[in-house]
Amino acid sequence: MSSLDEKIEEAKKLSMHIVKESEDDKLMTLSVGPQHPGTGHFRFIIKLDGDYIVNVNLDLGYVHRGEEKMCEYRNYFTNIPHLERPVIHDSANITYSYSLAVEDLIGITVPRRGQFLRALTSELDRINYTLYWLAIYGIFLGHSTMFMWPAADRELVLDLLERLTGHRITHAFNIPGGVRNDMPNNFKEKCLSQINYLEKRLKEYEHIFYNNPLFRQRTEGVGILSKEDAIKLGVTGSVLRASGVPYDIRKVEPYDIYNEIDFNVQYMKTCDSFARAYIPFLDVRESCHIIRELLDKMPESGDVREKLLSNIKGPPGESFKRVESGRGALSYHLVSDGTSRPYRVKISTGSFRNIIALPFLLVGSKLGDMPAIYWSLNYWPIEADR
Amino acid sequence: MNTASGFIRALESGTRHLFVKRFTLRYPEQKLKFVGDGYQFDPKKGVGIAGLRGRHILFHDKCTGCQLCSIACEGIAEAIAMVKVDEQWKQNKKSIMPQIDYGKCVFCGLCVDACPFYALYMTNDYELSSYTKQHLIYTPSQLAIKPIDNGEVEIKIDSRGASHG
Repeated sequence: MSSLDEKIEEAKKLSMHIVKESEDDKLMTLSVGPQHPGTGHFRFIIKLDGDYIVNVNLDLGYVHRGEEKMCEYRNYFTNIPHLERPVIHDSANITYSYSLAVEDLIGITVPRRGQFLRALTSELDRINYTLYWLAIYGIFLGHSTMFMWPAADRELVLDLLERLTGHRITHAFNIPGGVRNDMPNNFKEKCLSQINYLEKRLKEYEHIFYNNPLFRQRTEGVGILSKEDAIKLGVTGSVLRASGVPYDIRKVEPYDIYNEIDFNVQYMKTCDSFARAYIPFLDVRESCHIIRELLDKMPESGDVREKLLSNIKGPPGESFKRVESGRGALSYHLVSDGTSRPYRVKISTGSFRNIIALPFLLVGSKLGDMPAIYWSLNYWPIEADR
Repeated sequence: MNTASGFIRALESGTRHLFVKRFTLRYPEQKLKFVGDGYQFDPKKGVGIAGLRGRHILFHDKCTGCQLCSIACEGIAEAIAMVKVDEQWKQNKKSIMPQIDYGKCVFCGLCVDACPFYALYMTNDYELSSYTKQHLIYTPSQLAIKPIDNGEVEIKIDSRGASHG
């Protein structure tokens, strides 16, 4: 046995994950996930040359649940509880576009107060999701305070959602035809006071995290995704807006009452990891502003739900609707053959479209920058696999 | 912003939290207060009444054994089974009532929306843990019991930050 073979055997004994790739000792294959703390149910295989990443292979599909196929065996209402499972923190948005698509197919409009309540839940869930994402981003970069603060302040939003919908997560609140129930008493005052307090806390996040020189050093100029590349790769949501494209479905294709709401589309032109981490945070601020506006403009009373038969039959045809979720455009393509069940449901999620950019961003950067780039893509593994 | 002032600002923001109330719910001693008596549904108006979606409550004097709740649960969790009861009610000729398996239930509340007779509501009871799977199956007589609601803590916001009372 040559000395090189002995070396390889020795290296294999040292660690299960480190496998020497070639004889000249140059490239190393590193498997990140699927049980890596943080990556979630997802793996990517990295090839390293020294400290630099030369090749990345994505390995998705560990939590594929067959949501699209399951939709074909349930009617338009019983689809709601299982459809919100992929993103339990943002379940209002994932059922929002489904409800819109079904309403478009059947040809009904939701009462005005119902539309406001839907938008309100959607914005609250956007905050809820982004705070959770931010907590994980903090712990990814070794900032444990940034894990604790958003995880605790999420309670403010969860409390509001619990009052409004009856559940902290997976609310099953949006339904074809409107929302399940009206606002409880004194909700408006409670919502305003808690959202105002959350906005104060956001300033402190900026001091301890976003303006922290350590965080800036780790993210600024890291993982540049240029405007042209972002459009070519088809990324969406905060990743696209961080690359200097002011594209927001709420503005471009306003659904429900969003055309009456006055808000700004947040975007940055620096195209780096810092921009991708900062845009969702700015979105939370904008959401706070939208919530105040929604509560102000909401009609005092009125119907919230259009009465529909529980086994309603959709006329033969197709419908396509999309909304801006916490992770970008979330669209449903619904095909009906005239029965009480959809013939085909196609879900396109922001997570899946954003993770496509990961191999392009990681190649050429250092391994140490991997967490900062990976989680800045605003990605949720279970939603991508559906 | 230069590096030194950035660090000082971050440290100052963290240090200030020595004097801020801790945002922790001491759970078994403190319990959250909810709005209303749980999620209810008004079939005449076709709209629900806001409340927590916890364990169900079944009104035996209103249930007709029509199985609509069981049918609504098909394709969601299939947690509701109609079982024979010993009681005799005028409106319930077949003497069958729902029995709910909380090992399967997802608490979506679509069974409550399906009930046209105001017989099935949800309550604020969320403490349903048990040692065996068998104990998670609630019979109609268990579902008739009104839970004790002793939650009293709410989020309070004052000058020292938000806290649970």
